[in-house]
Amino acid sequence: MPISQDHAGCSYPATAPYEVTGAKIAEFAAALGESDNPAYQGTDAIAPPTFAVVLAGAAWSSLFDDPELGLSLARTVHVDQEFRWTRPLRRGDEVSARLTIDKVRVRGTGAFITVSVELATTAGEPVAVASSTLLHQGVAQ
Amino acid sequence: MSVQLSVGQVLPGFTTHLTRADLVRYAGASGDFNPIHWSESAAAALGLPTVIAHGMFTMGLALRVVTDVIGDPGAVVRYYVRFTKPVPVPEEGAEVHFAGVVTEIADGVATVSLEARLAEQAVLGAAVVEVRLD
Repeated sequence: MPISQDHAGCSYPATAPYEVTGAKIAEFAAALGESDNPAYQGTDAIAPPTFAVVLAGAAWSSLFDDPELGLSLARTVHVDQEFRWTRPLRRGDEVSARLTIDKVRVRGTGAFITVSVELATTAGEPVAVASSTLLHQGVAQ
Repeated sequence: MSVQLSVGQVLPGFTTHLTRADLVRYAGASGDFNPIHWSESAAAALGLPTVIAHGMFTMGLALRVVTDVIGDPGAVVRYYVRFTKPVPVPEEGAEVHFAGVVTEIADGVATVSLEARLAEQAVLGAAVVEVRLD
């Protein structure tokens, strides 16, 4: 059965614990052209705020790996994105991400899918919530 | 917070020249390997003129307008954008301009409205950042 409104409320298991390393923070900061920001350097580095997408993205895989939903990453467009941070991600944090499907709106062969991903440390401390609307464009039957 | 913000304050903008190499670097850093960001045929299958920048990449770049000013990126508490137009990145690259203005200060939180333009076209809509001012 392809994705439908019936999937609203579905949650997936949390992703495997992920350690935020200094090297990964540096790599992400470099990709954003802000290697020179001292906040992203040293032993007490924090991650750029949108680094949360590294974790959220791993959780989004739950959607595309679920054969029941019939979704393809290559046919998916990002419509909107919101992050709410309780605190920044820091070097040395061990975090995992848990995805919930909040809403599904089917339109023709496509579907608007609203998901939220909760990021928390493995000790259970909430860090951020990433909420997204995705548009999956189906293939005409 | 090392800097004072005031309502109506225009933050310094910047222009960046995005190349295919930048998209590949962001794909690796973010873990988003959606082929529409590096494969012409995958982009064409979605009716796009060429590969497009990751929306999250544009979102991440735009936030620099704020983080370059406030000093502590950890003060950002909320960030929302709508991806209103794709950012096509042909072989020769694409110039994207970013800007921001402080729209509100209340309860120790400053709200900044961000703008991202490709030529004269806005590529982010309703882009809003909230920053804690303590």
